[in-house]
Amino acid sequence: MVTHDAWPASEREASREPSAEPAVEARGLSKRYGGITAVDGLTFAIERGTITGFLGPNGAGKTTTMRLLLGLARPTAGESLIFGRPYRQLDRPATRVGAVLESDDFDPGRSGRNHLRALALATSISESRVDQVIELVELQPAARRPVRGYSLGMRQRLGLAAALLGDPDLLVLDEPANGLDAAGVHWLRGFLRDFAAQDKTVLVSSHLLAELAHTVDSVLIVARGRLLAHRRLDQLDGGAEALERYYLELTNVRPA
Amino acid sequence: MIAQLLSELLKQRTTRTTWALLIWMLALITLIVLLHSFGLSVSSLRVAANQPKVYGWGTSIGALFAALLGALAITSEIRTGTIRPTLLAVPNRTLVIEAKMIAAAIGGVGIGLVAEALVCVIAGAAFAVRGIHVAITPGHFAQMFAGGAAAAALCAAIGTGVGALIRSQVGAVTALCVWLLLVESVLAGELPSVGRFAPGASAGALAGMLPSAGSSLQLATPAAGALLLVAYAAVALGAGALAIEKRDLG
Repeated sequence: MVTHDAWPASEREASREPSAEPAVEARGLSKRYGGITAVDGLTFAIERGTITGFLGPNGAGKTTTMRLLLGLARPTAGESLIFGRPYRQLDRPATRVGAVLESDDFDPGRSGRNHLRALALATSISESRVDQVIELVELQPAARRPVRGYSLGMRQRLGLAAALLGDPDLLVLDEPANGLDAAGVHWLRGFLRDFAAQDKTVLVSSHLLAELAHTVDSVLIVARGRLLAHRRLDQLDGGAEALERYYLELTNVRPA
Repeated sequence: MIAQLLSELLKQRTTRTTWALLIWMLALITLIVLLHSFGLSVSSLRVAANQPKVYGWGTSIGALFAALLGALAITSEIRTGTIRPTLLAVPNRTLVIEAKMIAAAIGGVGIGLVAEALVCVIAGAAFAVRGIHVAITPGHFAQMFAGGAAAAALCAAIGTGVGALIRSQVGAVTALCVWLLLVESVLAGELPSVGRFAPGASAGALAGMLPSAGSSLQLATPAAGALLLVAYAAVALGAGALAIEKRDLG
């Protein structure tokens, strides 16, 4: 049975406490491009300290939603808040939020380390932190080489290193597992779990369930720009194992 | 602002585009100055008023490449997607554009000085080979270097604004080349009363050197040239920042 409610009422109340506003909140968030509605009235709140999977078929509006949340695009209607404020009004946002939207947002001729140094300078982050995040994502051998020679997995990790520079409390990742091999996906899962274990928050999108089913605490499921469900996995009958069936029912695809 | 400026200067040093631009500029100046040094007759070049037809190319070409440096600072970020991490770290887009503009202007000073120096070396050598006395006074040389550097800095700022406005790399580079190489020479020839107020002519006035000096084109004074360039840069900044502020990026 399809249900469209978001959080149980008790949790919604809890999230209203001023000291613990949600990490991410969308209120009637919409984006239209010409006649096409990419995001259609999304309303949800993401609790701190959780890993939330943002699931939906390709073209469901996941990337557009993330761009709206991060202030890269303007909503046609509604608003979005990160720790209670619009992203563009956050003070030193890099220290609150780390985000990776594309796997290849680099100048091909610049070394990975210089890419990180430029971002660190802009946000007054020390050079020693640059070397720290390079180590954290295990990119040391390649860090001083131009990005054009990097594999997709190395680019994903460089993007992640940039997101981690400011030691943020929230990570927003768009399809971070794309193009990773099995070992890379395994590494990413471990990384996200370690990150969330420090009482930090992750919003991670994917069009592939298997990548995330055993990593996330809750799921936001969207299709055609609309929110279909926001569920904690421990409240789902059958837990993570049932997620695939649940997802396919919601998005109107029959399981094979 | 200082933090963002340091970031932009690091980006400028660590992209191949900057060094490629410099090499192309050196090649173009060498070619054009040699063509003019040896193409014009000895009797014509002995006339002091005609020597800017050779020496003036440093300012024009320096201004063009400085404008390209500025335009590429923003358009290459949009093309590669680097603009996304940039704006995630610093969501104040106007601040980012201002920092890019100042960084481009600083790079522009370097480009202007290198351009003038190369012209002096090549033209000096060519004139010596042909037995032509260089009639430009030390004061004029000083104005040529100081004015050429200042003109290149301001053109770099204009280029940044044009880049932010057009956003497409090919579009911005084409627009700047067509304007500075084509439209301005047509204006100088056909409509000098308007052409003398154009950015390229203003750069020439500021440096006291224009290849077309001595022709029917009446140059503005150096101070007027500087003021005009500052005004163009301010308009470019306003328009570019507004365009970047309004647009969805990433």
